[in-house]
Amino acid sequence: MEADTKTDSRTLKVNDLLKDARLDYDSLRKLVDDTVSSIKEAIDGIPEKFQVTSELAPSFVEDIGADKEVEFSFKKPNGFNLCGSYSICGMAKPDTSVDLLVHLPKECFYEKDYMNHRYHAKRCLYLCVIEKHLLSSSSIEKVVWSTLHNEARKPVLVVFPAKKLDQFPGFSIRLIPSATSLFSVAKLSISRNNVRSVTADGVPEPTPTYNSSILEDMFLEENSEFLKKTFSEWKELSDALILLKIWARQRSSIYVHDCLNGFLISVILSYLATHSKINKALSALDIFRVTLDFIATSKLWERGLYLPPQSEIRVSKEEKMQFRELFPVVICDSSTFVNLAFRMTSVGFLELQDEASLTLKCMEKLRDGGFEEIFMTKIDYPVKYDHCIRLQLKGKTAVSLSGFCLDKECWRLYEQKVHSLLLEGLGDRAKSIRVVWRNTNQDWHVESGLSVLDREPLFIGISVSSTEKAYRTVDIGPDAENKIEALRFRKFWGEKSDLRRFKDGRISESTVWETQQWTKHLIMKQIVEYILKRHLSLTSDDIVQLVDQLDFSLNYGGKDPISLSGNLVQAYEVLSKCLREIEGIPLKVSSVQSLDSALRFTSVFPPEPHPVACEKIDSRRLQKLIPSCIPAMEVMIQLEGSGNWPMDDLAVEKTKSAFLLKIAESLQNVKGIPCTATEDNVDVFIGGYAFRLRILHERGLSLVKREIGVDPVKHVSSTDKMLFIRSQHASMINGLQGRFPVYAPVARLAKRWVSAHLFSGCLAEEAIELLVAYLFLTPLPLGVPSSRINGFLRFLRLLADYEWMFYPLIVDINNDFGRNDEKEINDNFMSSRKGYEEDKQNISSAMFLAAPYDKASEAWTSTSPNLLEQKRLVAYARSSANVLSKMVLQEHNDSVQWECLFRTPLNNYDAVILLHRDKLPYPRRLLFPSELNQGKHVARGKASRLFNPFMSPGDLKRSHEELKNKLMVDFEPTKCLLSGLQEEFGTLKPWYDHIGGDAIGLTWNKHNSKKRERDEEEEEEEESNPMEMLKAVGEMGKGLVRDIYLLKPPRFV
Amino acid sequence: MVVVYTKIVFLEVTYLISKVESFNWNGLELNYKEETVGKKIQRKKNEKVSNVELSEDPQAAQLQAKSSEKPNRKKIQKGKEIKSSPADGKLSGKMKKRKEKVGNVDISEPILEAISTEKVKEKKGKMNKTKKKRKAEEITRSSVEDLKRESKFKKSNKKKKMDMTSKKENKIEEEEDVYQISSGDEDCTRGMKKWVSDYYEGRPGLDELQKRIDDFMTAHEERLEQEKQDKEAKAAEGGWTVVVHHKGRKKTTESETGTAVGSFSQAALEDKIAKKKQSEPVAHGFYRFQRRDAQRNELLALQSKFEEDKKRIQQLRAARRFKPF
Repeated sequence: MEADTKTDSRTLKVNDLLKDARLDYDSLRKLVDDTVSSIKEAIDGIPEKFQVTSELAPSFVEDIGADKEVEFSFKKPNGFNLCGSYSICGMAKPDTSVDLLVHLPKECFYEKDYMNHRYHAKRCLYLCVIEKHLLSSSSIEKVVWSTLHNEARKPVLVVFPAKKLDQFPGFSIRLIPSATSLFSVAKLSISRNNVRSVTADGVPEPTPTYNSSILEDMFLEENSEFLKKTFSEWKELSDALILLKIWARQRSSIYVHDCLNGFLISVILSYLATHSKINKALSALDIFRVTLDFIATSKLWERGLYLPPQSEIRVSKEEKMQFRELFPVVICDSSTFVNLAFRMTSVGFLELQDEASLTLKCMEKLRDGGFEEIFMTKIDYPVKYDHCIRLQLKGKTAVSLSGFCLDKECWRLYEQKVHSLLLEGLGDRAKSIRVVWRNTNQDWHVESGLSVLDREPLFIGISVSSTEKAYRTVDIGPDAENKIEALRFRKFWGEKSDLRRFKDGRISESTVWETQQWTKHLIMKQIVEYILKRHLSLTSDDIVQLVDQLDFSLNYGGKDPISLSGNLVQAYEVLSKCLREIEGIPLKVSSVQSLDSALRFTSVFPPEPHPVACEKIDSRRLQKLIPSCIPAMEVMIQLEGSGNWPMDDLAVEKTKSAFLLKIAESLQNVKGIPCTATEDNVDVFIGGYAFRLRILHERGLSLVKREIGVDPVKHVSSTDKMLFIRSQHASMINGLQGRFPVYAPVARLAKRWVSAHLFSGCLAEEAIELLVAYLFLTPLPLGVPSSRINGFLRFLRLLADYEWMFYPLIVDINNDFGRNDEKEINDNFMSSRKGYEEDKQNISSAMFLAAPYDKASEAWTSTSPNLLEQKRLVAYARSSANVLSKMVLQEHNDSVQWECLFRTPLNNYDAVILLHRDKLPYPRRLLFPSELNQGKHVARGKASRLFNPFMSPGDLKRSHEELKNKLMVDFEPTKCLLSGLQEEFGTLKPWYDHIGGDAIGLTWNKHNSKKRERDEEEEEEEESNPMEMLKAVGEMGKGLVRDIYLLKPPRFV
Repeated sequence: MVVVYTKIVFLEVTYLISKVESFNWNGLELNYKEETVGKKIQRKKNEKVSNVELSEDPQAAQLQAKSSEKPNRKKIQKGKEIKSSPADGKLSGKMKKRKEKVGNVDISEPILEAISTEKVKEKKGKMNKTKKKRKAEEITRSSVEDLKRESKFKKSNKKKKMDMTSKKENKIEEEEDVYQISSGDEDCTRGMKKWVSDYYEGRPGLDELQKRIDDFMTAHEERLEQEKQDKEAKAAEGGWTVVVHHKGRKKTTESETGTAVGSFSQAALEDKIAKKKQSEPVAHGFYRFQRRDAQRNELLALQSKFEEDKKRIQQLRAARRFKPF
């Protein structure tokens, strides 16, 4: 029954989508007819018997390799035909291009012009003549050159009329030459050689791709008529075509020249229609699903698809065998001569099948039948592939060494070469490798020839199979006894190859990729660079690999502090053991659990070992620059059960403090572990780290009883409740980062980004961890992220594109949720949104994050982000996602652009407080020093001399005991300033970076008073208010505040 | 220069007035003493004394204020200050000097008064004029009954209006506005010094903290006992006789299992729930009307869910159209 509801919801959405995507053909028809008439008039104006020579496009003719002098007397086309999706009502916005077939006259071509690219050269010259005359027509604004599916030897003209209609922006007509009945079909069979230079050891080889290129033009008209017949009077089929186009366009990896395009989608639908796999009773969505299922699972692809022939001619078995051998994918048209999928590669087809399978999975599993994920989510290269590479091949003569056009074009051959190299080099590290060179994307003119078509970079996308394979440091090759394979291995790897004896006694060739523990994600980068340099003679400047460009933001003192987490875990284990063994306290410690994100490896800056915070101070280590502060990591302990706890909350907290003091005393006296304490906290120093102890009162366990269904008899204090929730969160996230090794770096990048843009007060660290967890647990329509940049980009897009006001985000960490749980979560969500529906300003939280331990989204998002904060957050995330995608795809090789992702503008606030950078407790965490030179400079402050982030040389000469007393645990002046701001200045909202920023943005909170008229005196008072208020803020932050700027005065209602 | 003096005086006066409000009798004494302190400050400024010495005096004044309020904490605070800054020998020396000065002030008041009167005579006429103005201001402010914030704002506005008349004064004000915040190393009430001091003061050592908790628990128990006795006294006043038939506190939990008195243990609860769950399928759908009701409810739930989805889609359309491009 739920499936029905899901289907209904999806059907509604799909129908709305089709309404938006469909074109209004009644309005379009006149525009098309007028433009076609203009084109015909211009072509009619061309004089007959006009002699056409190769001087119109000499570079093109020379580059394409036509062997004889190419010239002909111009003759008008035999006719024109509108074809393509316009003729079958299958156009999908925003594409408003209409295809017009131009039938080439037979008189312009000799009988043998199918050889050696003569046809292609004449075809191009014919279009040059048309172009010249179209440009002189007043009804036509401009004419642009393009190619047919990225095939450079088959250019087409794109005509833009002078008349414009608002509802069809970018309208154009493509002139596509068709070569009906120009040549004998037998001469162009796929087993014949028609390019004499294509030889192997002097023996002519077949040129199936070249032959198919000409055959395609010869049967364009026939196939167009076939599609028209199939699609006529079948609205659902046209709608299904639109849906499939929308789906395919959203996926950059399959809407490519060597995979799918609109024409092929139409052909596949026609095949299904003519073979009765779909019938007229099905809806567009059903046809969509059947088509994807056919693509993903059908065995017929192995034999090839054959459209029903028009005549009684049957394709013989020998011919079918030939097709299958020469082409990875076969879709034979109704003439039985052309493989319409001759451009498709096996890699492209596998990619298509994977995408179809994933989409079918989305339809089954996701909400609303996966509508959002299938049709509305852009899946381009940066989110699709974990490892993106760009090769800059401009001017490399190796690409076209054998000539620009052989059987295949040189750029397609180069794609294959790169692909096979990486396939061999990466082995099982890569799940799939995609090499795509869209080399005719830029503005191109046939007069420039084919030599300029290497300006666009070649794109390589690699999906990682698993991180443990990708991060492997030793590749084992063939045995030494297998001499042929060993020689081949050595030849491929060169000096990297090494003969090794392994522990099991085996002697094999192998390659070793040395790396640090925290840079294992760069192993594949090393391999790719080595292979491409060795076999393609490229340099480092030619290879741009997008793997580690964001690692700068996690560096601290030149390296990633996560590399020292082993020490941290050891220290925690020592503490845990000591706590369990402790004696002399009334109740025993029954369990110890860490709450800090550093101990689950998701802290942006896990603490480094401090030489003073040890049991014994080693004087030799005191020569470094020693920080004067150390962060404290919270550890939760539980005591054995007892009925003698007091009932009062305050008394309970005091009793806990007494217990902690006892524990500290015991640790200090018995174990020799130094401790320090306040009325609320006890800090323990072990191995250079500071741990802050917390006690979970046993009545917190009654929270567990909720799952049983019994209401808790006693009141649970908020302190214990929060401790319990944090412990649940910590254990779940710790398990998750063990399952997905890339989770922790992505979470760190996400936290760094949120803080760098001063959103620390809007989004809690634990909320960020849940958002990143959602990417790994619900990755559809993609796979699990396997690289940092990929994961981080998907985090930004999730933040930017999710419909937070209409859907809860359900993070199912251990697959705990069933139907009842989801219903409960949805009910909680709907009740939280009822207030919003009544009053748009009455929203407590704009984000709903449901977790197994928190089904009402109370833990991390009960008060923040509110609606305004969320809008700001979404805007920043969208902007950053766009910048990041652009940098992955386009040519940006400098680090400044990458730094922009983490550099926030300061002019979006009403006021800005700049702090003294040398008074921050961890100044090296600051990414970019903040400066401001706009607005009014309200106040300037001097730096205090009482606090320094590092210990002075005088301090280091004192005794170790005094050093320990000097050390400050969890002391952050910025935090003190912010708490003061929130207490005393309710009208100011601070935006801050809790990791280590030196700027605080302030915005005025809105006034709720409804009085619009006020006395002049009061107005003057309030006009002077912001200045005085900001000065008072500066006074509050004496010694820390450097400058205060007022950018925008508050507006009063 | 005149402007500077007036502002400083203004700040001091407001400070004094706030003190007067809180402690009437003691405030008078404070008022008198702090006036003398202010005079000292003025003299030192005139004589161009170094900044360090200037920063000491406000602390001394604060020490006096604190000492008058809570004499018991004198020793504790002094000890803390010594502990908080063990590194600087100079500071400790200065603190000793401060103590001596304070003692001198307390002991030899008449001498200082005599000295001040003599020095006043020696000063120039200009200084006399400024003093007279200050006295007049003090008299007017003391005579005002209600010292509200609004009045303060009005006065500040008036001053600003006066300042707006001339450009030179504007420039002076702007420069002063920009450069007004000091490093705060002499101000214990806010800024970095406050935060650092609070940090170290919050860590007196394990023994001291243990004592504080013990004191709190003792006071807490006494308070509870007092409340109990008050209740019994009230009951007795009504003519009733309080029946006392057991000694020691009332049992709330069994000491062995930790279960609350009168409630089930967790194991028993789990057994109960398990039994209930087992019995559910037997009871479910026993009567025909129950089965019909279940079907109807299911249909209604589906229908309401469909309506919700439809509404949500309309909201989505209003918020954003379905455009994949």
